[in-house]
Formats: sequence, structure tokens, C-alpha cells
Amino acid sequence: MDDFMAGLVADLKPVRPRRPAIEAAVLATLLAAELALWLLTDNARENLAQVAMTTPTFWWKLASAGVLTVIGCAAALSSLDPAGSPRRGLIAFGLGCIVFLIVGAGLDWSLGLTNLAARLPLSGGLECLSYLVPLSLPPLVALGFLMRRGAATDLPGTALACGLAAAGWGAFVFVFTCPHDDPLFVAIWYPIAMAITALLARLVLPWVSRW
Amino acid sequence: MTESEWSGLMAAAQAGNGGAYRRLLEEVRVWLCRYYGRRLPPSMIDDAAQDTLIAIHQKRHTYDSSRPFVAWLAAIARYKWIDRLREMKRHSTEALPDDIHVEGHETAVITATILETLLGQLKPAQSTAIRLVKIHGLSVEQAATRTGQSVSLVKVNIHRGLAKLAVIVEREDPAHG
Repeated sequence: MDDFMAGLVADLKPVRPRRPAIEAAVLATLLAAELALWLLTDNARENLAQVAMTTPTFWWKLASAGVLTVIGCAAALSSLDPAGSPRRGLIAFGLGCIVFLIVGAGLDWSLGLTNLAARLPLSGGLECLSYLVPLSLPPLVALGFLMRRGAATDLPGTALACGLAAAGWGAFVFVFTCPHDDPLFVAIWYPIAMAITALLARLVLPWVSRW
Repeated sequence: MTESEWSGLMAAAQAGNGGAYRRLLEEVRVWLCRYYGRRLPPSMIDDAAQDTLIAIHQKRHTYDSSRPFVAWLAAIARYKWIDRLREMKRHSTEALPDDIHVEGHETAVITATILETLLGQLKPAQSTAIRLVKIHGLSVEQAATRTGQSVSLVKVNIHRGLAKLAVIVEREDPAHG
């Protein structure tokens, strides 16, 4: 044991203690860069300012995705400390989803739309998945990197928090492109796309972040 | 050693002070041996302590000197303990070595009490299979004969029982050293 400990001491190098605030700032910069790049490459919907931004659905989508991203990131970063846990953050994320759905139901009711089948086009849903999931990947990679560098002790929970945070950001960016203003469409397809990202994170990140 | 002394030593170690690090590791090793002494068979204590010391070395940058050191240490020790339980589940069942008996009577009593509390939360068939094979060192075949279960059922009960134990342990208070 003495030789073993001498080996650890011999290997000692100064380290910079982890600073969650700096990690959050780096993450925020990366997310902002992704959004800027996405919008600068002409991916915003054509009638964004004239039509979309005048509807309550647009602001509901944007605010919900933004709040869920913040909650998910906070849950993920706080759980990278060995003594931290993602559980409270995940519960808060779940409550955020419930509020998102309740507000969406209220919006849907106020619009008085009918004909459920026509409101949930499969092609539109698949298009939503094909954008939202890839848009979630850059933040997922960044959070995965932070997770590997940190010391999460609840790997499945932290991985899920990373996945949900990344999915929230993917949804936030996609809101600027999404041509659908129907609350029912958003309430069905956005969560499906977010669930795919979260599942991916839940499966992959614990495996690559084991320590 | 007080919380603030440990915290100070770790902060010095993060800055590259080898003397402080050496002293800290020695203190931590004693703490870990006591921690694992209550939770693992004696033959596994040294390995678990070494494994945890390596983890502490690799993850020392995650310690924030403004926060309690023991809570940080306990969280890592618990994480590695759960790893050990999972490892026990993964590996094929085998008889425990003859030196399984604990030297210190007090430690044995505490370990036995904790184990009994944990095993008490499992189904009787699972706890019996774990007791016979993992604690008393019987082979799976002997346990099957003793309990009247088939060999494969004994294996399944051990596998599921250990998995459930890991879940129960994960729910425990992490700062409970």
C-alpha cells in the first residue's frame, strides 16, 4: 500500500478545481454559437417575424424549450459533483413538462381546432424528428464531455439530465424553423423527439463516462 | 483530523503540494478501510480502498474547497462500493476464502447488522440464496440442495437479489460514513 500511495503522490500535478459557473458559461457560449450558426445559414422559417412571432404558440414553444434547457443543464452540471444528485433537477424537469402540456392544452382549447387526424401529419412529425434530434447532438456532445471530466455518482440520472438538457436546446433552436403553430402537433411531436435524444443519452453516456 | 484540516490538505494537493497529498491519502486510507470494513468482506477491503484512492486521485479537480470534504469523499466511496456490489453480481459465484472471518469482533457485528438489514429487504428466496452462496461460501449446487431450489433458480435469485441490493444501497444517505 505504501508503494501504491507513493505512486499516487509521484503522479501528483496541480489541477484547476472544477468551476460549475465556468462550465455553464462555456456551455451557454456553445449553445448560442449553434443558434447563431443555424439562423445565419438561412434555416429560419420564412414568415418568422411576420406570422410566427405574433402567435402565442411560438412564444409558448420558445419559453418552454428555454426553461426546460435551463433546468436540464442545471440538473446535469450540479450532478457532476460526486456529492451532487440529478434527482431534484429531473423532478423539476418533469414538473416543467407538465406545465408545458397544461399551457399547451389551454392554448389548444382557446384556438378551438378540430379534426385530430389532420392536425398530426406523420410527414410533419418525422420532419420534426429529423431536425430536432440532430440539433440536440452538439449540446449532447458538450455535456457528455463535461460528464466524462466530472465525477457523477448517479451515472444514469446524470446521463438522463444531459439528454433532456440537450433535447431542450434542440427544441429551442428548432422553434425558429418549425412551420407548425398547432399546439397539439407541438405537444405530441416535440416530446417524442426529445425522448429519443434523452434515451440516446441514457444509453450511451453512462457507458462512456464510467470512472 | 477536522473537516477544515482535510479540506485544507486537499486544496494544497490540488495546488501540487506532495507532502499535503501524502498526509491526506494516509488519512483517507484509514477512513476508507473503516468505511468498507462495515460494508464488505475483509478480503475485499484493501482492493476497494485502493480503487477509491485511484478515483480520488483522478477526480481530485472535482473537489470544491468551499464545501465539506467528507461529503465528497463519502460520495466517491459509496460510488465505488456500489461498483463492488455490481461486480459481485457480474462474477460467477464461488466459495469465499477461508480467511473470511473478521478479525475485529465489533466490525463483524456492524457488518453483519448492516447486511442483515439489507438482506431483510429482499424476498426470502433471494436473501437465502445470497446468504448461503455469497456469505457462507456454499457452492450453487450445495445451496440448491439445501433450499430445494434448482441450480438455475439459485443463480437467478442471487443475480436479482444483488441487483436489488444495489438499488437499495443507491437510495441510502450518501454522507452516511
